[in-house]
Amino acid sequence: MAETARGRLNWTGLGVFALVLLVWEAAVRSGLIAFEFFPPPSRILLGIVALTRDGVMLQDLLHTLGSIAAGWSIAMLIGVAIGVLLGFSPTARRFGLASVEVLRPMPGIAFAPVGLLLFGFSLQTELVVTVLPTIWPVMVNTMGGIANVHPRLGDVGRTLRLSNTEIVRHLLLPAALPSIIVGARISLGLALVMAIVAEIVGNPAGLGYGIVREQQAMNPEYMFAYIAVVGILGIALNAGVVALTTALWPATSRVTL
Amino acid sequence: MAEPIFECRSASVALAFGGQARPIVSDIGLSVHEAEFLSIVGPSGTGKTTLLRMLGGLLRPTSGEIRMRGEVLTGPPDGVVIVFQDYGNALLQWRTVAANVAFGIERHLPRKECDERVAAVLELVGLSKRASDYPWQLSGGMQQRVQIARALALRPAVLLMDEPFAALDAMTKAGLQDELLRLRDQTGTSFVFITHDIEEAVYLGDRVAVLKGSPGRIDNIVDITLPSPRDQVTTRQLPEFLAYRYDLHQAIGHG
Amino acid sequence: MSARTAWPVLIARSLAQLPSPLGLLPLIAALIAWQLLAPPNSPYFPPPSSWWTGIAQSAASGALWRAGAASLQTIVFGLLLATAAGVTLGILIGVSPRLARAMGPLLEFCRAMPPPAIVPLAILFLGYDERMKLTIVVISAMWPILLNTASAAQRVHPILLDVATAFRLTLLQRIRLIVFPSVMPSVLLGVRIALPLCIVLTLLVEILTSIEGVGALMIAAQRNYQSGQVYGLLVLVGLFGFLINTGFSIVQTIILRRWPPRNIQA
Repeated sequence: MAETARGRLNWTGLGVFALVLLVWEAAVRSGLIAFEFFPPPSRILLGIVALTRDGVMLQDLLHTLGSIAAGWSIAMLIGVAIGVLLGFSPTARRFGLASVEVLRPMPGIAFAPVGLLLFGFSLQTELVVTVLPTIWPVMVNTMGGIANVHPRLGDVGRTLRLSNTEIVRHLLLPAALPSIIVGARISLGLALVMAIVAEIVGNPAGLGYGIVREQQAMNPEYMFAYIAVVGILGIALNAGVVALTTALWPATSRVTL
Repeated sequence: MAEPIFECRSASVALAFGGQARPIVSDIGLSVHEAEFLSIVGPSGTGKTTLLRMLGGLLRPTSGEIRMRGEVLTGPPDGVVIVFQDYGNALLQWRTVAANVAFGIERHLPRKECDERVAAVLELVGLSKRASDYPWQLSGGMQQRVQIARALALRPAVLLMDEPFAALDAMTKAGLQDELLRLRDQTGTSFVFITHDIEEAVYLGDRVAVLKGSPGRIDNIVDITLPSPRDQVTTRQLPEFLAYRYDLHQAIGHG
Repeated sequence: MSARTAWPVLIARSLAQLPSPLGLLPLIAALIAWQLLAPPNSPYFPPPSSWWTGIAQSAASGALWRAGAASLQTIVFGLLLATAAGVTLGILIGVSPRLARAMGPLLEFCRAMPPPAIVPLAILFLGYDERMKLTIVVISAMWPILLNTASAAQRVHPILLDVATAFRLTLLQRIRLIVFPSVMPSVLLGVRIALPLCIVLTLLVEILTSIEGVGALMIAAQRNYQSGQVYGLLVLVGLFGFLINTGFSIVQTIILRRWPPRNIQA
């Protein structure tokens, strides 16, 4: 609902956005909101500039991006593998699905204490916290996508003398691709959230830690600067996946969440 | 001749498309008398639905006026109810058949009277036994009867119908056509019935108006003098029936 | 599925849709292996029997019950408030294209903001208390409900709106009698997504801030190296999530028995 219609820029919406920022700026400057921790948008922007010039922001951004990339890739591998197995084989579903269904609603955040217990404050903890919850959307969508492929396609494969691996690779995976991409997109968003969580509680590095560090150092404009960058990163990642999938598989570009 | 109860005088509607006003129907003059069945027949693209929405007070005419018992319409009038073509979307799928029928009257009548009236119209359309089912559990023909019952519950003077049977199979359609004529005789309601089916228009109508062109205009109004009650087999075989059919085909321009 | 079906039958049918219990075998096998292979006092992989002792200790001291009640309260109130906010905003945005356009980018930015990022912000403004916890849960869990409601409200069929006009409904009657029932299946779908989010966010805030709750209990157990208790709480939390998801899908089936079946899976 918020996307611009057919590539046209939503000027009204951007105008409202700018207006909110302006009112915020004016309210803080005129002393209407007198709150010591509430910087106006201009100071936040200056904060971003200062942190970028310093090199800290880039370093933190790269760390978070790296964790997201690593965590998401691992989750994709595991998720697609289990998803294919459960989607393709009724036996695997019969003897495995319930285990998955019991583990799935486990809140990802609850693994943070376990990660800390095992690895302390470290990158491994960050990866544990990022990977585990990120697996589920990919897995469920892969499984659903494959299980919903019309049975005729399997018959086609068999009559053309394809092996089981070939059926999965050349028929089922491509047919399930739109569904897998939806899962991948949800997972990417989740990977960002979990990486930030992990950086706040389990690994003192990256954008997440930046927010807490500046909060504790009583630098509200730097704290807001980090929050803004995290929000922009969220939008950019989502737009990136949409652009990438549209470029690679135009047929699936109509898939939306 | 008595005063018409529902009247449309040189009414036109133009709708905006991409900033431009495009005329959809133009200079429409129609009148409907009590207990009269007026069919309006026209090919697609002549603004049939726009015309009906205008008659029902959902669209204001850009020029001209519509009068109900002499009063100029400014919105949906008392005594005029629309039955839409796609019953699937026009019924409230989450309400039972009885609750759908009560929809138009429940806010204006005491509970007991409302229940009685719902039971009476359901009896009239033969759906008493399905009162507590949901629309999505009924066949298409039954759903359309629910919509007709919902309209009748308001005891309208005029019922406006927009190709109500277009989505139904031939057998169901024939049954519902006879049911409409019976309802007209029992309730004295006037009907304005829009269709693209010439035979249907002739079979049902006391008069048939031809809507033609773009923007749509009333080209011709034919008086139908076929014996009543009409019969699906014998009426349709009468030479007069075939003559009306031929004339209307000519008038529409299908040769 | 018939609309007249009695509740117990509906419940039984929803339960029958759960996967075969045979599927639990791998999990059970893993737990048994863990119990047999793990050293009894392992600080990293304590055997499942010690999970139970960890939980029992916490229950005996009363800490578990206090934490559970606090978390449950946040989850329940958070879900209720998020639903109220999401449905209200969603319907407003859904029925007014102009509002949807005007608020679009702003909402998009707020939605893209990862919830953990606003925790420090909320602490600054509201301090360490129950109100702050609830605020974060509501703000972050409301999005799926808002988006589902808005897109369903935009899709209400124009004929249905004509029906509303033809029957001369006022704006409020229109929303109450036509729009609200039309979007109901989508609202429930949104609530179903928001429900686990509420649980996650409640735990998240408790872990980040140590405000009383199960999350705080877990992080305290981890800091004290009571590893059995950490794993035990993890299992409890998972079980809770599973039960509440199953419970909600039953509630959903019961509420939606009036709607055409295609809407249920949507």
